[in-house]
Amino acid sequence: MKFRIYRYDPDRDAAPYLQDFQLEVHPGMMLRDALMALKDQQDDSLSFRHSCGEGVCGSDGINVNGRNCLGCITPVSDFKAPVTIRPLPGRPVIRDLVVDMSQFYQQYRAVKPYLIRKDPLPEQEILQSPAQRERLDGLYECILCGCCSTACPSFWWNPDKFHGPQALLQAWRFLTDSRDQATEERLDALEGPYKLFRCHTIMNCVEVCPKQLNPTRAIGQIKDLMLRHSI
Amino acid sequence: MNSDRPVFLNLVQFHFPIAAVMSVGHRAAGVLMVLTIPFTVYLLDLSLMGPEGYEKARVTLQLGLVKLALLLALWALMHHLLAGIRFLLIDFDIGVGKAAGRRSAILVMVLAPFLALGVGALL
Repeated sequence: MKFRIYRYDPDRDAAPYLQDFQLEVHPGMMLRDALMALKDQQDDSLSFRHSCGEGVCGSDGINVNGRNCLGCITPVSDFKAPVTIRPLPGRPVIRDLVVDMSQFYQQYRAVKPYLIRKDPLPEQEILQSPAQRERLDGLYECILCGCCSTACPSFWWNPDKFHGPQALLQAWRFLTDSRDQATEERLDALEGPYKLFRCHTIMNCVEVCPKQLNPTRAIGQIKDLMLRHSI
Repeated sequence: MNSDRPVFLNLVQFHFPIAAVMSVGHRAAGVLMVLTIPFTVYLLDLSLMGPEGYEKARVTLQLGLVKLALLLALWALMHHLLAGIRFLLIDFDIGVGKAAGRRSAILVMVLAPFLALGVGALL
């Protein structure tokens, strides 16, 4: 099978280019397996991030034939040759498929992704009813791979001002957590034309999320809560 | 951060899902409708100038090229209207799922040209 891979070595190349590879693929082979085989057998300078190999660590987000996905859980057989592999869109390329995700993490940090308590912490854990716990389903599973935010046109144009789908999904994850006590502050922090409201419901995030999560719905729920708090 | 780093952001090489294409269409249709305003205002003004002006406007509207432009404007109106309703429904938490979002986007894309042709035929 023919692979075309985005190559860029800052020490050698003036500009990025696509390099062609030919690789024998086998049934059940994932894109990460293919990349590892290419690195092992054909060019050990090929650089990409990966770790767990089972869609848990979120390291190997890549753009394949134009779509963002996780290399480790996407079968090679999902694609027609040539399989063109590029880094996640809109992020500065450090080398080959490795991109600088600093801005993405800054946006994540900005939504304070941790429980904020005003009451003194109890001696034991803070209990939740099964229904309260259920509200976190579809939110806590996010692995920060960045496939959603780097597929979002609003994030492409304003990565410094718009939080992006990943951070907003996490904003809702903490807003809806029964143990969190900073609802007002969290909502106030999301005010303004950019941080939350730059979302134009294009739904590219929902389309690409490898964990089948729905940032668009989370963003709608934040807006709904904002409305309820303002009336 | 090293600002010399290249960035992959080629819109031609990115695969846009159907909902994104529909969304771009929503914007394009909006721009198109705004662009038709001077022309339609001119035609309205012409038609109100008296019987001669009215006749002139009527003849202008019968021109093949003008008819084609009007059909395009009708499509823009229909696409913008349907896409707008779709976005409103999503705001009300209706059809926010991946499959539902795809289905409604396809519906808008298919229905808008049909409606434009239908209304165009009636006029």
